[in-house]
Amino acid sequence: MISKWFDERLELKKFKEKFLTKAFPTHPTFLFGEIALFSFITLVITGIFLGFLYEPSIDKVSLFGAMVPAAYASVVRIDLLPLGMIIRRIHHWSAMIMIAAIVTHLGRIYFTSAYRKPREINWLIGLALLAVTLGAALTGYLLPYSQFSVTATSIAYYISKSVPWIGGWLSRLLFAGEFPAAGTVPRFFFLHVMLVPLALLGLIGLHLLVLVKHKHTEPAANRKRTDARGGRRLIGIPVWPEQSFISVSLFFFLLSVVVLMATYIPLNPIEAYGPPSPATPVMRPDWYFLPIYGFLKLIPGNLSFSIAGGKFTPEAIGGVLFPGLLALILVAIPFLDRVSTPRNYIENPLHRPVMTSLGIAGGAFLFMTTLSGYIDVLHIAPSSMAIYVLVVTAAAWGISYLLLRLYCRAGKKGDHVKT
Amino acid sequence: MVETNSEGKEGKVTRRQFARGFLLAAVAGAFGSLLSLLKVLSPPASKGGGYVATVALGDLLVYAKGSRQGSLLKASDFQVGDAVLAYPQGKTGNEANLVQLIRMKEKEFKPPTRLELTDQGFVAYSAICTHLGCTVSWMKNEKDPGASYTECFCHNSIFNPARGARVIGGPAPIPLAQIGVKVSKDGTLVFTSGFSGPVGPQV
Repeated sequence: MISKWFDERLELKKFKEKFLTKAFPTHPTFLFGEIALFSFITLVITGIFLGFLYEPSIDKVSLFGAMVPAAYASVVRIDLLPLGMIIRRIHHWSAMIMIAAIVTHLGRIYFTSAYRKPREINWLIGLALLAVTLGAALTGYLLPYSQFSVTATSIAYYISKSVPWIGGWLSRLLFAGEFPAAGTVPRFFFLHVMLVPLALLGLIGLHLLVLVKHKHTEPAANRKRTDARGGRRLIGIPVWPEQSFISVSLFFFLLSVVVLMATYIPLNPIEAYGPPSPATPVMRPDWYFLPIYGFLKLIPGNLSFSIAGGKFTPEAIGGVLFPGLLALILVAIPFLDRVSTPRNYIENPLHRPVMTSLGIAGGAFLFMTTLSGYIDVLHIAPSSMAIYVLVVTAAAWGISYLLLRLYCRAGKKGDHVKT
Repeated sequence: MVETNSEGKEGKVTRRQFARGFLLAAVAGAFGSLLSLLKVLSPPASKGGGYVATVALGDLLVYAKGSRQGSLLKASDFQVGDAVLAYPQGKTGNEANLVQLIRMKEKEFKPPTRLELTDQGFVAYSAICTHLGCTVSWMKNEKDPGASYTECFCHNSIFNPARGARVIGGPAPIPLAQIGVKVSKDGTLVFTSGFSGPVGPQV
């Protein structure tokens, strides 16, 4: 009855025939993007809850007799509500899972060469999504206004200030003055709950739109069956009901995992950090910033240079130049590894020694720079660690390349094979 | 107005050209005018920029944190190898004023430490790391107090307090600035100079 009423007005049947019958190739690694999307949905829902209770101000208010910033007090009060701390932890855990899912998704796309023509645009949109998500995480760090928040944000402030030429203007734009300014928390709150989520929504929409246009890449095993049917028809399961069933199950499974983690694994205990005070505890950023954090430790203090009036301080080299270079490499990948005809099947990474070994080297490099964040507990001097980073990266590249070459020669496969 | 649909004659603008030009000018104008917002949204830099210390000669040192926060430091409370974070009394709102007061053996001081700014083994340096602005910590060596040093926990910059807080490890670009202290007659500690160099991150 009801569905008929809607169908008469919205022509749902037509919509179903056009979109819900689309084929969705099956491969478990195709679900990382969905995990990121579902984490985003969880973040929005928990974020709405937190938004009702959070107070974006650093005016001093009384909390159990002590005068603390209002933002800090409001988050302590959220933690004291029934389920309040769990909701806040679900929010934080989901953010970590979202970034992990994006990074894994990116790795999957890279190693299966799914970034090649015609999918370069979606590769770039995906990178933008990663960047904006990291921005969401960074702006979220500050909001509880604990000792941890303020120290972490202060480091971000000085990194943005160290950007050559425009650092002063840029840092005051992002932080609404010289951090810690009274305007920083309201500005980050606005960025975190308004601008960044809107940007994410827009980019996600665009990402999916381009995906619908291109369709998924397919497992190479589908190739013969597709050719037998005489050309490009996607083999997979329909969006409705099969894929929808998988996706909804995945969403609720993910939610249950996140709720369990939030319940049992403490995260960002702001009550333990306390409100901002003049002392910096031993602290590390969340895992996704560890490569930059570690790299900053390796740059010697006397390493700096100037170009056309722009000063590249050690902070600028570690915090701006290094991540910028990483981003540039990622952007350039589909334009360096070019093909003339559109490719719609995923490649076996074992058959592509050059790209796969470079990817492994990149992973080793990020792992080693992450490890550099721990030189204080590992008791390694920065200069030796810098050498280890280079050696391990080069070894990872060389060894994986050699092994893959041998593997391909044995099977007479490899980069030279026309696909 | 019939001829506007055809190709324009020399010196005449077609409807299409006009529309395109108008659109271009409108877009350029709209975005151009918005550029001024980039200036408005970024507040002007404060004078001097960043950390500006307001310590004056004769300011008394008080505890910056802990249970005795705000009360006066007494020289008798410090053994060799002890250190504490301190503010000038009444000026605790300005982070640039935060110093680390250290007591060492007087004969351990070596250049470039400025001996005239020390007194009875007391030496004070800015507590704001010159790398990215975290507060430095005191790494006390219980067995050998003379081997204690100052470390910033953010990126492990290490400073040698016996040698003018020069950088002996990590990414900090310059030493922590020294500031003069002396023990007054009643045993309290008092500032005797301003900072000897720049305070805070060097960006």
